[in-house]
Amino acid sequence: MSSFVYMKVLESAPWRYDRGIRWLSGGHIEALWQRLAERAAGPGRRVLDIGCGTGGVALACAALGADVVGIDMNAEMLAVARSKTVAADAGGKVEWVELGAAEIEDRFAEACFDAVVSSLALSEMSPEGRRYALRVAWSRLRPGGLLVVADEVRPTDAAARLWQRTRRAPLVALTWLLTQTSTQVLDDLAGLVREAGFTQVRETRPWSSDLAIVEGVRPAEETS
Amino acid sequence: MKARALPGYLYDTLTRLFPHRTRTGLRAVGTPGPDAPVLVTGNYTLTVRRLTEHLAGFDCWLLVADSRGINVWCAAGGGHLTHHDVIAAIRTSGVAERVRHREVVLPQLGATGIERRAITEATGWATRWGPARLEDLPAFLARGSRIVKRWRFMRFPAWERFEMAAVWALPMTLVAGPVFGILGGRRVLAATLLQVWIVVPGLFLTVPHWPVRGRGRWVVFAGAAAAGFGLAWGVLALLGGVSGGHLILAAVASVAAVGVLAVDFAGTTPWYPSYVNSFRNTPAITLSEDRCTGAAECVQVCPRDVLAMEGRRRKVRVARPDDCIACGACIVQCPEDALHFRYPDGRVVEAATIRSTRLNMMGRRTVHVGPGGPAR
Repeated sequence: MSSFVYMKVLESAPWRYDRGIRWLSGGHIEALWQRLAERAAGPGRRVLDIGCGTGGVALACAALGADVVGIDMNAEMLAVARSKTVAADAGGKVEWVELGAAEIEDRFAEACFDAVVSSLALSEMSPEGRRYALRVAWSRLRPGGLLVVADEVRPTDAAARLWQRTRRAPLVALTWLLTQTSTQVLDDLAGLVREAGFTQVRETRPWSSDLAIVEGVRPAEETS
Repeated sequence: MKARALPGYLYDTLTRLFPHRTRTGLRAVGTPGPDAPVLVTGNYTLTVRRLTEHLAGFDCWLLVADSRGINVWCAAGGGHLTHHDVIAAIRTSGVAERVRHREVVLPQLGATGIERRAITEATGWATRWGPARLEDLPAFLARGSRIVKRWRFMRFPAWERFEMAAVWALPMTLVAGPVFGILGGRRVLAATLLQVWIVVPGLFLTVPHWPVRGRGRWVVFAGAAAAGFGLAWGVLALLGGVSGGHLILAAVASVAAVGVLAVDFAGTTPWYPSYVNSFRNTPAITLSEDRCTGAAECVQVCPRDVLAMEGRRRKVRVARPDDCIACGACIVQCPEDALHFRYPDGRVVEAATIRSTRLNMMGRRTVHVGPGGPAR
């Protein structure tokens, strides 16, 4: 999986985002959306997508018949998402809302989702924003509900970490030139998920050591 | 400033064109109590450093929102600091447990991205605009968080002009120094660096006494390059190093230095719209007077004193349109959507578009979405 810093450039021109991210991820991005959707969605399931961007994961969930809400702070990205239509006729539907993760509680009742997904969005938040988002995700999930998040992480072995840094450096510079910003790499995604109260936390890195998918369950019985 | 802080301060200042993230969340300045004011800012290291310095002696809370390591003005314009980020800061920082009141002071330059009503609707917290420049915060706080008109407008003091000049001249020195040193030797190096460090600050110090926005700027840039070349020639003559090759190098250096600056000189001042974003198509701020109810929210956020309230008529007037820098703050804040941009090519961009689209160096203020997917 290639570096995602360049994503910020793509975001600054949302109509280029999909093409760019597909190229950046070496064609894995659709597989990633699909994998998240397969874990989280299903006919009639209510799914929340935090930081939905141009809607890749949300639409994949809807294609499997889920009733999806995609939220993002960036209105331009949402405009691109809105222009897309739900594939297939599994009965799924999507609603797009301009909303930050810290505002979820204003719009959605507790325990109202069967699953919460988030792809390449947690790394864009501040550390306390990230913890807050995961706690809110926990509270909006029904007991037994599933969290599935994917993000760019630091590889566990030193050589891979060095390679990641080397490869990111020119992209960081280019991205800064074009957008004056950059994304961050997460250190311990699974740890954050556990800290928010999720159990049965599982981490996989199906394509490369710097992209992790983490799952967690809101326990059916309240535990602390 | 403590001597120990100097290296960090210099580093942050000289690399100020790059984002520098500092810790987000709530910070105490002095020993603030539950009634102390809460000042919102972004997590740009240099700003937080300067705020802490200027607020010495005051007791208040700094609520550092996530502006992605970018200064408040650029972050708000580029969509990296919006009401969503301020709401997130209020909710995730625990500020509600530390203060009894429910009000934050927002940085005025955040007005291009922060919608006050959205913050109050989501959190119940009241908001008010602080001064445009952080140097005015001590006086603002001393007046019980009340603004004075002149604190709304951007100044461009000499120290800041030098700072912006250094921000350009330093990378020029780092890049061009070795090149010209190797090609021409020590004398050429001395001559070219001297001309860079005189011509670049010279241009910043003489604003607004030359046509920064107009076509006439090319005459000024050409003159500056010629002056730089003359200077370098003089230095070479003094050092006894005048030769054809050396003069060619000096000419290349002076043209390159001014050329780099000419790319977006205006955008690195607080007084002019960026060349890069607007090119020749600079929008004019336009008021639909029939919609204006005289709320004057726009007047409160204009950093260039373009808008004026006509008290008797209860209407706003675009009083000094030539000074508009097209930041869009007034358009974003107008509760009646009475303001918009009108471009020379006839396009009109309304408030809803300004609020939902962001600018950056590649930015444009229209969303290209058509049936069957995003266009372009």
